[in-house]
Amino acid sequence: MDEHGRDRDLTMPAGRVLIVVVIALVVAAVLNSEAAVRAGEGMKPGPTRDIVLSVARPLDDVTGAIGLHEPRKGLDLAFGQESKTASGTELEKGSTAILRRRARQRAQSFPQPTRRRPLTVLVTGDSEAQFVGEQLIELAPKGLIDVDVVPRNGTGLTNPSFFNWEVNARDEIRDRKPDAVVMVIGGNDGFNLDVDGVAQAPGSTKWETEYARRAAVVMRVLADHGRRPVYWVPPPTARDEVYNRIYAVQNSAIERAAPAAPGARYVDVYSTINKGRYSDELRIGGRRVLARQPDGVHFTREGAVVPARLILRAMSRDYPALAGP
Amino acid sequence: MVFPTIEFAAFFVVVLFLNWLLMPHPKAWRPFILAASYVFYGWLDWRWVLLLVGSSLVNFASAWVIGHAPSARARKQALVAGIVFDLGLLCTFKYLNFFVSSVDDSLNTVGLGSPIPLSQVVLPIGISFFTFQGISYIVDVYRGETKAAPLVEVAMLQAFFPHLVAGPIVRANELLPQLRSPRDPRTVLAGPGLFLIAGGLLKKTVVADELARRIVDPVWADPSAHSGLEVLTAIYAFAAQIYCDFSGYTDMAIGLALLLGFQLPQNFDRPYLATSLRVFWHRWHMTLSRWLRDYLYIPLGGNRKGRRRTYANLMVTMLLGGLWHGAAWTFVIWGGIHGGALSAERALRERFGAERMDRIPVWFKWFVTFQVVCLAWVFFRSPDLGIAFEMLGQIGAGGPSPLVTPVIVLLVVGTVVMQATPRDWWRRAETWFIARPGWAQGLALGLLVVAADAAVGQQGVAPFIYYRF
Repeated sequence: MDEHGRDRDLTMPAGRVLIVVVIALVVAAVLNSEAAVRAGEGMKPGPTRDIVLSVARPLDDVTGAIGLHEPRKGLDLAFGQESKTASGTELEKGSTAILRRRARQRAQSFPQPTRRRPLTVLVTGDSEAQFVGEQLIELAPKGLIDVDVVPRNGTGLTNPSFFNWEVNARDEIRDRKPDAVVMVIGGNDGFNLDVDGVAQAPGSTKWETEYARRAAVVMRVLADHGRRPVYWVPPPTARDEVYNRIYAVQNSAIERAAPAAPGARYVDVYSTINKGRYSDELRIGGRRVLARQPDGVHFTREGAVVPARLILRAMSRDYPALAGP
Repeated sequence: MVFPTIEFAAFFVVVLFLNWLLMPHPKAWRPFILAASYVFYGWLDWRWVLLLVGSSLVNFASAWVIGHAPSARARKQALVAGIVFDLGLLCTFKYLNFFVSSVDDSLNTVGLGSPIPLSQVVLPIGISFFTFQGISYIVDVYRGETKAAPLVEVAMLQAFFPHLVAGPIVRANELLPQLRSPRDPRTVLAGPGLFLIAGGLLKKTVVADELARRIVDPVWADPSAHSGLEVLTAIYAFAAQIYCDFSGYTDMAIGLALLLGFQLPQNFDRPYLATSLRVFWHRWHMTLSRWLRDYLYIPLGGNRKGRRRTYANLMVTMLLGGLWHGAAWTFVIWGGIHGGALSAERALRERFGAERMDRIPVWFKWFVTFQVVCLAWVFFRSPDLGIAFEMLGQIGAGGPSPLVTPVIVLLVVGTVVMQATPRDWWRRAETWFIARPGWAQGLALGLLVVAADAAVGQQGVAPFIYYRF
């Protein structure tokens, strides 16, 4: 960089640099106000989120009203980006009657995979889906299964204004047409849920019912009237006791939601792994393995073998060929 | 804090303003920039700041003793103590689990259960960088290349936020003189600064993240499900991804420092145009290669102790360079490939002479160098050796290749071709840009930020690869 020291024609006064940077950020904020709101929605509750949203939301209202969303929409189109939020979806507001529409408990059968036509599986969800999906690929019989792993980091069901899983599920099914879906999600859902205009704290009965309703909505989209099985994997135990209690409620909500959506299966990694007791390490194949990441929630790559085995076991009930010899 | 985020943008505007406001008053400016760096670092976890402060305190004390001790023995002891502390810190956070689980596996094979629990240590971001910087500082003081500095300067050297998390690894005599004299607010190198920030942002969002999402991650997740063409393209795509990801980060770091009035050393200089591994390492992660050369290769004897020892030194340096990235066989093999190739290159030059070697067509030397670098990347990217060999074994496989799209090919080829653009073009573009009115500059940069955000879409910017190291 020494040559730059001699380059007077490349310099500006500090004050002007500051003005240029501020103009750039104002332009970006004005033209990107929708993205700023989404970014704020995706932040953890706290002062930073409050500040970002208190600035971005009114700005977004104004820029939307005067048509300044259009340049960004054009760029999204150019980059092939699809919006993952929408207003008026069933995920945001709908009836809990969906939970009472119990799917008929009849044995469903799906076309069995062969080497000529392997089973196409979409493993999606939040960041936990990454290693679990990779280990599913490792464990599944070769040639019989073709897995796409598409994690959507930082997402969940509680914040559709940041990422709407009903919209995304519809897009994924339309674009990928998988034979089966594995949904690994829930680690980012420890937030209040709005039920009839009242914020319900995670873990309460109303929260659990609303969470089950939202899960059922997404299950139905993914399963498409029972045309494909959906293996829904809520979070495992967590080191933190507060999260652990929330995850227990989420598991019970998913257990309740699955019968309401034909094709949906609840995969219990909460009470089955280490008998429902949290542990950093697990014994896998005779070896002690550090199974959890330092956050006390995510599986390590090595540890993800355990939930992947449970998922494969659930899948083999629908696809006996996956059970192996 | 991560560079391309709303939080960092707000943080930087405030810091930029106060930086220049306080610059004429060093007594106020120094604590301010240090505090700002600690806020930047502690944003995710404040406990990491304690670690950084502890590291600075020990390095300051070690250098102070080296600078003031009456005997050579005491100076050496202080040096060794400082290095042991820095390496101990690095090993505790980076290699403890690898060591414990290796001991555990060994004990298991002989039927003895290990009482040592596997530890849950969070790897503080940037620890590899600031510990190497600490070692560099105390060794330089020991060698007399720089003088022991006051505590606040040592702390600033390690914590200065633009380079704190992923480099460049700065030497004391590069940054301390700048920290001591107020920068001139009339001549901020905004041309290269703004261009580096904008270019780094585009490299990261438009190239690195796109390649990762569209081909690299899907192929590495399941190599056997992809054709040879897809696997081969994914390998080249990863070469482009890691270059744009890492150099994009350091470009932004250098650019931000320039706007604050400071010059950091260059970290990348067209590495994929290199026609030998030796040249590649003069152009790739230049501050790490320089560190390894000055503080490892040369102290080991460099090329001064005979041919065999030179090859051994090259190999040891590159293997340790591999291990610096993490405790995994994949990194060892990555270092081994580079060490072996550097040794082979040297042996060929000695065997056939420089003149004959120079007669080999440049395009051929470039091609071979690039393939060796890409081969090594296969191991670097793979989570384990099984996946790495599966990737290599799959190269000959047939089948459809829907992931190899014109956009992917354009991004990969473009990454290499962009490195061949004449330097003068960039300089002319910077000069032209600087001559525009401020509103036009701001508008252009604002539009570029919007475009970069649109490129990554709703999934957001992926973490920088070198944050893990």
